[in-house]
Amino acid sequence: MSESGRWADRCVRRLDEPDRACTRTVAVVSSSAVSRTRQLISALRDALGSAEPLPPPPEVPEVPAPPARVYTPRPEKHAFAAEAAKHTTALVGIGHVGTRYATDVVLQFQAELAVAHEAVDAELPDDWAAQQGFLGLRTRVTDHREFLLRPDLGRRLDDASLELLRARAIKQPDVQIIVADGLSAVACMGSGKALHDAVAQACQARGLSVGTPVAARFARVWLEDEIGQEVGAKVAMILLGERPGLGTGDGLSAYVVYDPKLGNTDGDRNMISNIHARGIPVADAAARLASLAAGMIAQRTSGVRLDLARLGEASERTPRPPQVRQKLVGS
Amino acid sequence: MILEPITPRVLSVRRLPNASAAMVRAYGGDPDKHRSLGLVTVDQDDPTYVALDEATKHAPIDVIFAKSFYAGAAHASGRLSGEILGVIAATEPEAIEAGLEALLRCLEHDACFYAADPKATVTVFPHVITSLGEYLSREASLAPGEPMAYLVAPPLEASIGLDAALKAADVRAVRVQTPPTETNFAAAWLTGELAECEAAAVAYAQAVVEVAASPRA
Repeated sequence: MSESGRWADRCVRRLDEPDRACTRTVAVVSSSAVSRTRQLISALRDALGSAEPLPPPPEVPEVPAPPARVYTPRPEKHAFAAEAAKHTTALVGIGHVGTRYATDVVLQFQAELAVAHEAVDAELPDDWAAQQGFLGLRTRVTDHREFLLRPDLGRRLDDASLELLRARAIKQPDVQIIVADGLSAVACMGSGKALHDAVAQACQARGLSVGTPVAARFARVWLEDEIGQEVGAKVAMILLGERPGLGTGDGLSAYVVYDPKLGNTDGDRNMISNIHARGIPVADAAARLASLAAGMIAQRTSGVRLDLARLGEASERTPRPPQVRQKLVGS
Repeated sequence: MILEPITPRVLSVRRLPNASAAMVRAYGGDPDKHRSLGLVTVDQDDPTYVALDEATKHAPIDVIFAKSFYAGAAHASGRLSGEILGVIAATEPEAIEAGLEALLRCLEHDACFYAADPKATVTVFPHVITSLGEYLSREASLAPGEPMAYLVAPPLEASIGLDAALKAADVRAVRVQTPPTETNFAAAWLTGELAECEAAAVAYAQAVVEVAASPRA
């Protein structure tokens, strides 16, 4: 019989056993009906010159493949959970099968986790900045692994990039916009350029001057301090791929700081997150970022000291429609 | 006839669909999840360990008890004792059924001792597990799914065989049980690539056959 049994953990509920908890089933891949060890030893026996034939091995019974089982949750009994689930992409009201998740919940979770892993693993190509018309900068990080392990190195430009920035960038702009990979190069490549252009346009429409478009590779949020300080910008704004969540590998975040300089903390910054198709659309985000920048320049501060009540539309707190969970698996 | 399979004799197979909690606990189970038991005695212990492991691949069962008996099947305490008692446990009786089915199938068609000399006065167990189940992988501290050569022979034969196996293939010893064991055999668990495990098992079997043919060479 085959020993090449393979694990397949499946959550299953049988129709005839409504209260039964999930059962683990195992997919057995029958490659050969005969034992591998018996084959080996039989061959050795021949090799050692044993003349007498072995009696034929007994017939191996057919090993039935386990049924492909799919466990679906019981009909939702909790009205509150069902209602709450309509307003969030969080995993609420997903039901259960015995003590476990239903099959589609597990598959969806695995697919979303894979999207997040892929986004973290992705790297911005070296020539991406140039292709998109940005001034390409690099941080002191040398490779992707180091980028993930050493946030401090991702907050400073390397010497060559610093020279390049000093030589090529417009000085003293009102707003310096930086596009960066952050923790999701996928998001940066997806809507980084579009968000940059929209924000630049919105700032100019408010009469703010915008600095040279730059794109930084292996960058962390605080890189905006050094770049903003070097070009002497009033406001620095970094648009970068945000730490992927379940199913959102394409989200951008924007961090805005007044008077960028090394040594600023997160208390000096304002930010907008979830800039993606299912969150805040690029156009809305651009308008709010421009008004945020204008407000910072008007109030000469940012972060916790910024009076959001005086910002108008950027401080709007009207609830936006709930995000829709993208179904990645199944029909 | 050398290297003829000696099919294990299954001496008893019993189920306890709803075992008493104290009994389950005494045999190393967790009464909360191990309500049903399946018990077997067999006249060959090592094939049974392999078959118990095989059962974990086919059903949601745990091997809670498996012990060899002193001096082996030739000196058994009773007609049904054999040389091992194995106990599998699960929440549901049907898991036990599926586990026992796999276990018995493995004993009948796969794992067995082989005669190392024409009269089967020396036997050898040069078994290759292509993919470990939960039970033996835990015992061997390997990952489920890894291959392992499970090699058993009488004391001196096993010693010569182990040396031959380690020299013949790129394998490492996971566990070596020197004699005496309960049954006075000696065992070795080797792991490596599947092809290496197979080469090790064949070299082991060959060495045992050779020692059986010329014990004083």
